Amino acid sequence: MIAQNIAFAILALVATLAALRVVTTRNVVHAALYLVVVLASVGALYVLLAAEFVAAVQILIYIGAIVVLFLFGIMLTRATIGVESDLDNDQRWIAAITGLFLLGVLTFVLVESFGDDQLPGLAGVSREELTAQRGTGAVGDAIFSTYLVPFEVISVLLLAALVGAIVLARRD
Amino acid sequence: MAEFLRAYLTVAVFAGAAGLLVALLSTLGWAVRPSRPSRQKSIAYESGVDPAGTDFGQSQVRYYIFALLFVLFDVEAVYIFPWALRLEGYGVFGLVEMGVFIVILALGLVYAWRKGVLRWV
Amino acid sequence: MPPVFDTPAIDYHAFAPEIAMVVTLVVLLFVDLVFEERGRWATATVAGIGLLASVVPVLSLAVDGADRSLFGGAYVVDNFALVLKALFLVAGYVTVLISTDYIADGDYYEGEYYFMLVSSLLGMTVMASARDLISIFVALEMLSIPAYLLAGWRKRDLRGNEASLKYYLLGVFASAVMLYGMSLVFGVSGSTLLVDINQAISRGVDSVPLVTVGIVFIVVGFAFKVSAVPFHTWAPDTYQGAPTPITAFLSVASKAAGFAALVQIVFIGFLGREDVWAPMFWVLAALTMTVGNLIALRQTNLVRLLAYSSVAQAGFMLAPFAVAADIPADRGGVGAATGAVVTYLLIYAGMNLGAFAVVMAVARKTRSAEISAYGGLFAYAPGLAVLMGVFVFSLAGIPPLAGWYAKFVVFKTLLDAGTVAAVTLAVVAVVNSVIALFYYASVARQMIMEPAPEAETARVRVPGSLGAALGICAVATLAFGAFPGLIAQLGDLALLGVLP
Repeated sequence: MIAQNIAFAILALVATLAALRVVTTRNVVHAALYLVVVLASVGALYVLLAAEFVAAVQILIYIGAIVVLFLFGIMLTRATIGVESDLDNDQRWIAAITGLFLLGVLTFVLVESFGDDQLPGLAGVSREELTAQRGTGAVGDAIFSTYLVPFEVISVLLLAALVGAIVLARRD
Repeated sequence: MAEFLRAYLTVAVFAGAAGLLVALLSTLGWAVRPSRPSRQKSIAYESGVDPAGTDFGQSQVRYYIFALLFVLFDVEAVYIFPWALRLEGYGVFGLVEMGVFIVILALGLVYAWRKGVLRWV
Repeated sequence: MPPVFDTPAIDYHAFAPEIAMVVTLVVLLFVDLVFEERGRWATATVAGIGLLASVVPVLSLAVDGADRSLFGGAYVVDNFALVLKALFLVAGYVTVLISTDYIADGDYYEGEYYFMLVSSLLGMTVMASARDLISIFVALEMLSIPAYLLAGWRKRDLRGNEASLKYYLLGVFASAVMLYGMSLVFGVSGSTLLVDINQAISRGVDSVPLVTVGIVFIVVGFAFKVSAVPFHTWAPDTYQGAPTPITAFLSVASKAAGFAALVQIVFIGFLGREDVWAPMFWVLAALTMTVGNLIALRQTNLVRLLAYSSVAQAGFMLAPFAVAADIPADRGGVGAATGAVVTYLLIYAGMNLGAFAVVMAVARKTRSAEISAYGGLFAYAPGLAVLMGVFVFSLAGIPPLAGWYAKFVVFKTLLDAGTVAAVTLAVVAVVNSVIALFYYASVARQMIMEPAPEAETARVRVPGSLGAALGICAVATLAFGAFPGLIAQLGDLALLGVLP
């Protein structure tokens, strides 16, 4: 449990610092790259929870695809790749206050509700048991039983998103 | 430490070792190399010719479609993993459901191809 | 040895409407791809026939009558779901009718346009049956993403871009907030099924703050979707910049889908925690009616006026939520509130789609949606002017048009609840009905009393499909007003099924 806690502390710290840099850096490309660090740390946190499939999806989709889309988006627009001074506007203080307020509220409710709870330890649990409980196969079983409708709807959703994006991007 | 996490400790040790190696080699290089900076050396390397234009070129919207197609099939791959793992368990039922999923997504590729956005201009 | 997988039993009859819609989507795509320009004219027909064909299984399921629960209660086909599915499909069909000439004239991407429209409707029909958080979320995205794109369909028009971008950015922000709320609720209950969530959160008083924040976040997400004040800021700009048929679609079908989700989440998942959501809905309802109406008073553009009026109408639909838990069981309890919301939605769909259809018919000649352009309409196009009068006075709630019955049901639930809060809300609603009459009547006054601008008095030619849409909406508005028994039965039927 101690090793797990130390690892959590390191990962959480890295994620938080990188997240702060995402919003404070004046270079949009750097912001996208800091986002990679945030997402990778979160992926590592999933591993700590023995959710390997979710961790793999996090890396595959978020870092592999979403950040790539972000970078493409930056290159598509006329944003300068470099330091920009007018990225901030007058609303940043209101945004900061709102953000801090939200942080306070969420910290309070989470600590109040789960403060004394402990995650079930992984010690003594065999690899086979873990795989059966929360492995990739277990995720698959859920997709193909309870969540079959959303699963099939997602294919239509992705198709619609692609068709729409092509219409918007076409030049004719 | 739990058996599960011990396996990942190996990953962490390897990552640490790799980082350490990079740091070590860079420090070694920095220590023994001569240092004579000049303007010529700090120009961006563009296969030997002098770089032209600025460091920013706006890319075409066409590339965004490729990126989007990539996301589409990336998400598809994510759903295929758990299905493939339990392929025998799901049997014909799983085959039909996954078939519908893939065919609908493949229509997106057909659409992109027919509309000519895949053409390399 | 991996555990044995139990193949879930699939009731294809229950999915028949959705399967028919997916087939329609595939056919639409093929018509567009195979016939290209030659097939353009056919896409509207395919979409219309596809939607009507999807109504058939809804009717056959209704005749069959049995509630069907699939995947352990994640997907339920009960009378509530069927009534709403029918509403979405018919509203979608009317949207196709009013789109046909607009889109064909405008040289927009026709095949893709109807593809998006049917995709969005697919999300809505799934939403009507979704009884777990993941299905609800996926259905919400399914109906929203095509809607974001459709709002910006006039892609060379700056207003269109603004419409789409505002809708999209605020929409995904609301989705994110809602998703966070869902994760908190899931954290407490350990299940995504609404029935399980209900058992978990109504059982004890543990983790009250967490449940409260979760409920608030989820309700806020849908408050955006139904454009409740203060989450309405996207609505006027989006309604004005989007193509007019899409504006009609967003203000009716998309809003109805938001209410469908709210009814299911609040009346199944959060029942028993009305201490959290009842006051919230009270504030939302009162604010939405009042602010929507007050801003509508000052509008000079008819589309913006209808946008704000639809915000105000959403306030009336939110009112039953605020008092649902106080309605005594012998007066229908929560079921009465569900019935009131569904009744209001059904009637509102007819009259609001009708009003937009008239706007489109008139704009074909005047090329303007300014109220001043409606001067003298009664003189040179009496038919359209009378229809517009019917729709706006129905929206205002004047008997014998359908709108009065919608308002009547809402007042009835408020008075049945009988608490001080409920009666106060009823008073707010009455005051707002009076305010609303001002701006609805000003449209009528403009049509009858004012002269036509620049003496433009040529006849307005109404194309066939637009005429059909006007006819459907007018018949619905008049018939439901004259024979409220028809709609009352539908509203009473639309109860949430008894869940396993």
